[in-house]
Amino acid sequence: MLTAAGVRATLPHRYPMLLVDRVLDTGDDRIRALKAVTLNEPWYARLGPSPAEDDLAYPDFLLIESWTQTAGILATRLAGDAAEGQVMLFGSMSGIEFHRRVFPGDTVEHHARLERAVNDTMIFAGESTVGGEPLLTVGQITMAFRPGGTLAPPAS
Amino acid sequence: MTGTVLAAPRPVRAPARDEASGAWTAGYTVAISGDEPVFAGHYPDFPIFPGVCVMECVRRAAETAPPPGTGELRLAAVESTRFLAAVHPGDELTIDVTWSPRGEAWRCAAKVATDRGPAASVRLRYRQEATPC
Repeated sequence: MLTAAGVRATLPHRYPMLLVDRVLDTGDDRIRALKAVTLNEPWYARLGPSPAEDDLAYPDFLLIESWTQTAGILATRLAGDAAEGQVMLFGSMSGIEFHRRVFPGDTVEHHARLERAVNDTMIFAGESTVGGEPLLTVGQITMAFRPGGTLAPPAS
Repeated sequence: MTGTVLAAPRPVRAPARDEASGAWTAGYTVAISGDEPVFAGHYPDFPIFPGVCVMECVRRAAETAPPPGTGELRLAAVESTRFLAAVHPGDELTIDVTWSPRGEAWRCAAKVATDRGPAASVRLRYRQEATPC
């Protein structure tokens, strides 16, 4: 179990891109975490006074980001000291299926497991559910740790 | 509207159909300014445009011109995505989109680049919603 304070201490992401609220449990190669969706999400800020129901669907790709941050917490834990001063990079993904959408008031449960680790690259798979129903299938997502300097913006 | 990216796609090449394959291709640009709200938290003092926001730019560009004659299309899957280089504030994305028929579904494939070179490749799958009678 990792509280919101622990999540914030583990991930470098901040508002509005810190998309994990609580880690329920972690094992050697798996993790389970929660993301609660609220009407106060910044993505809804520009909606007019009478939005359509569809307008309140949580952005699909942020579900992938939230799942990946969950896997990232596990990756950081597994990397241990080797993660110090490194940036976690999202390398690739495949086989992501969307089964339904989520709305304010829903709590999403992410399940991620480590499939393989090769050098500094980790491959994760899993799924997300909402109210026990399938939400997202994640076939494969790769992440790698790289020195922060390699990502610096180009000198202009 | 609901979305993670403020910048709107600008069409630079009108949709054109390849008669042999039935695919539609089009080109867009998206200017990523430092004012995008996601930069505040991704990451503080180290702004990188999130990969999922690159995907969102592709999706919004592609959905401005879905293949003519289809019913309502809904995103069903990300078949694959590769991130090849980081995108920073001030970059302009060029996005080449190809819609290809796949039975009852459509694949939307896109190449994304900045002026430094390729940034991402994205393949999405859309399904057609049943048309109300």
